[in-house]
Amino acid sequence: MRRRFLPYILIFIALVLSVLLSVAIGSVFIPPGDLWRVITGQSPRIITQAAFILTAIRLPHSVLTALTGAALGGSGAAYQAVFKNPLADPYLIGVASGAGLGAVAAMAISWPYTFWGLAAVPLAAFLGALLTVFTVYALARIGKTLPTTNLILAGVAISAFATALTSFLMLRSSGELHRAIAWLLGGSSQAGWGPIMILLPYLALGLGALLLFGHALNLLQFGDEQAQQLGLNVTRTRTLVLLIASLTTAAAVAFSGVIGFIGLIVPHIIRMWLGVDYRRLLPMSILGGAVVLLIADVLARVVLAPQELPVGIVTALAGAPFFLWILRKTKSQGYW
Amino acid sequence: MFRKMIPTILAIGLLLSACNFTPLAAPEPTSTEPVLPATETATIPTLTLTDGLDRIVTLSGPPQRIISLTPATTEILFAIGAVDQIVGRDAFSDHPAEALALPDVGGSYGEYSQEAIVALQPDLVIAGGINPPELVASLESLGLTVFFLANPTSIDDMYTALSTLATLTYNEGNDITLIESLQARVAAVDEKIATISDYPTVYYELDATDPTLPYTAGRAGPTNFVTPLIERAGGVNIGSGLESEWASISLEQLIVADPYIIILGDSIYGETPEKVAARTGWSVLSAVQSGRIYPFNDSLVTRPGPRLVDGLEALARLLHPELFE
Repeated sequence: MRRRFLPYILIFIALVLSVLLSVAIGSVFIPPGDLWRVITGQSPRIITQAAFILTAIRLPHSVLTALTGAALGGSGAAYQAVFKNPLADPYLIGVASGAGLGAVAAMAISWPYTFWGLAAVPLAAFLGALLTVFTVYALARIGKTLPTTNLILAGVAISAFATALTSFLMLRSSGELHRAIAWLLGGSSQAGWGPIMILLPYLALGLGALLLFGHALNLLQFGDEQAQQLGLNVTRTRTLVLLIASLTTAAAVAFSGVIGFIGLIVPHIIRMWLGVDYRRLLPMSILGGAVVLLIADVLARVVLAPQELPVGIVTALAGAPFFLWILRKTKSQGYW
Repeated sequence: MFRKMIPTILAIGLLLSACNFTPLAAPEPTSTEPVLPATETATIPTLTLTDGLDRIVTLSGPPQRIISLTPATTEILFAIGAVDQIVGRDAFSDHPAEALALPDVGGSYGEYSQEAIVALQPDLVIAGGINPPELVASLESLGLTVFFLANPTSIDDMYTALSTLATLTYNEGNDITLIESLQARVAAVDEKIATISDYPTVYYELDATDPTLPYTAGRAGPTNFVTPLIERAGGVNIGSGLESEWASISLEQLIVADPYIIILGDSIYGETPEKVAARTGWSVLSAVQSGRIYPFNDSLVTRPGPRLVDGLEALARLLHPELFE
């Protein structure tokens, strides 16, 4: 019994530590003593500036990062389960390319400085992501079945199409490419609690719903026929899980830009550690995604301080070798 | 069932976003004239200006801690004598040399360190055309006063930008002498160029990572000063017919156009006349054969600040050295 909870306890400690690290480290140095005083609420008057930076900039940034990582980790695990494919990630059927197209298209227009004008980029990214996912879904469906091969192929084709359109828009635009490129690599200029308040309901509902599918996803691993015989409505499960995971990812991507690799590697790391039981893999991937993205984000902010790198660069640059190292270590076990 | 859920979820999301997004007052249309209140009551005059995003920016006195987020605004601030009022700059602001001594708040990878900005305790942040509006909104939500200077689209527009920032930083008057001297220098170039009838063709190189498809300045437009400046300096940009303001031109087109002069705006990235001459296929160009390839300081013609006039003079000297003997 105790063994069952040990991984959760460990990852929870890791999450707390990485949040602390993320809050403690930034381009402005805040002495640990001041940090402690702000956290514990002592003598706020002397250290108002540190307190302001912590509560108005760093903490919301850390929370947004953790939420994004959680969404990507959880969706990644769900995608890998649905596709029974180790290469699946939350962007497999077009969330990232659709969001990228939406965002870059919105950036090409100079919006008025109003509430809706400022919401244009995340909103367009969100709608772009949903639109591509629905297109892929509609194209892949054959009658009442939803073959995964069709989904993957339609996803790859639609993604390539959307990416080509995005590149075309970027090359055509005469303005700054920095903004678009930074966005496509997971950079975001948004600070404060606003984005989190919008994101939270999507993620809470989406990730909460995904957790209910642990057992169904386990059954799905036996193959469609067996799962059907065991009483699972395969097509419905697949459709629901995909749409929930895509919606969750789309919401996260809309605010954080496209952050690659997290949704691919985190579920694998968890799987190598704990095995393939999705009732455990899903929650652990959600928490693990938050931990890994928080650490990557700290790196993105410190390696070239005060310049901040888009976090997507770090997740791929540091994530790929780390992942390969783990893969080599566990090669013999054939975990998949 | 999920099909019915989706519009509901979207609607909830939109509602929530309407409730929780950083509240922003819709700007009311006003004149761009500064409104100075009656001075008999206030010892320090408040200043209200409308910025490039139609936001109304109010200052309660001369700003003493300014952060500039673009190289052009930094150069303008130094030129109008706001030197002692600047406390921070973005990573690209490298001119004048004194600017490099100021704390750097980031920007080189598209992201600014908002905590570094806050830590400098600015009483005014000046953003420019290259900064995304989300950054302005974000800084505003952190309680900072932000002025967004729309990118000037011509030399005359640049004069207006000088006046705007002079007003904003309570340095009114400084801009008048500066603009007069800049106008005189532009007029001197115009006068010299008016005497010539032969306009040499120019290829202005921005990037030639792929020497068969280099990047050049295209049609004149709001972000492209290079083409209009070349024309004003008495030249013809061979890229001026291209569809985009910044565009690639094939080596084939370049050979057909056979420019009289090659100007290397990418010389800061290490391009040299020797390297250009060594490129495969480039030796047929007459500019290469006659050695008319010149390194050029690109920031003189790409930053919409007072150094555009330096850029104009430098281009005119390159194109018509005989006029400046």
